[in-house]
Amino acid sequence: MPKSQLELLVLYQDIQLMLYDAEEQKKMGFQVEGVEDLKIALSEMEETIQTRYIRTYERLKTRYTRPIAPVSKDVCLGCFATQPTSYKARAWSDKQIFTCENCGRILYWIH
Amino acid sequence: MNLNELVGYFKDDLFLPEIKADTKESVLEELVEPLLKNDIIKNKRVILETLKKRETLGSTGIGHGVAIPHCRTLAVSNVQLVVGHSEQGIVYKSMDGEPVHLFFLIVAPPQEKSNLYLPILGKLVEMLRDKDLRKRLQTIHDFNEFVTVFQGG
Ligand SMILES: [Zn+2]
Repeated sequence: MPKSQLELLVLYQDIQLMLYDAEEQKKMGFQVEGVEDLKIALSEMEETIQTRYIRTYERLKTRYTRPIAPVSKDVCLGCFATQPTSYKARAWSDKQIFTCENCGRILYWIH
Repeated sequence: MNLNELVGYFKDDLFLPEIKADTKESVLEELVEPLLKNDIIKNKRVILETLKKRETLGSTGIGHGVAIPHCRTLAVSNVQLVVGHSEQGIVYKSMDGEPVHLFFLIVAPPQEKSNLYLPILGKLVEMLRDKDLRKRLQTIHDFNEFVTVFQGG
């Protein structure tokens, strides 16, 4: 099943965080293989995610460790601001990507 | 992360004064045991698999008799540090091939709000670069002695 842009972004964030962990450990002197594989995976993903989403993500990345925040019961778990109820349905049906009105993080609905 | 903050993560319940295991695999198992005993984890399987996986990417035996096995895992909800000591040393496939006398196991959840995993790891590595400290830690017998020596006493 092809992944939605949001799913890809979430995956992108995961791999970026893994890569960050691995590179920090290398700086400390640990041996960590597989760093190159993570980099390749990231650049491959950059081809499949729309440029405007990557741009939004990278802009947020300068402010937050995790630019994508889960939403639970209409609350952004990045900053705990309540989101308009209409977002959820639209995010599911149109596969549209929404950002939090308060903190700007990209939102994904966990239920 | 300063020294006092790091020392705050050392716990008497998570300290092994003399490791009984004699292989790399059994050491990891013994280091995880206190987490189970103190109800921090529900079972050892997931965490052990992840730790072993991490070792396949490169030994966490950083040389000079020190190993810092570490991983992120859903098995814990907070950063945890287990310290183990072995007088005679254990063969661990370290970077320098030397047996390991001091073990620092660090486990942290994948999504960690406090963001302490890397700072703890970094501070430990920094402290353990001190040859004198490593030497003094090799001869400790109990938790209080360990903490005192670690703090430079
Ligand atoms: Zn928010």
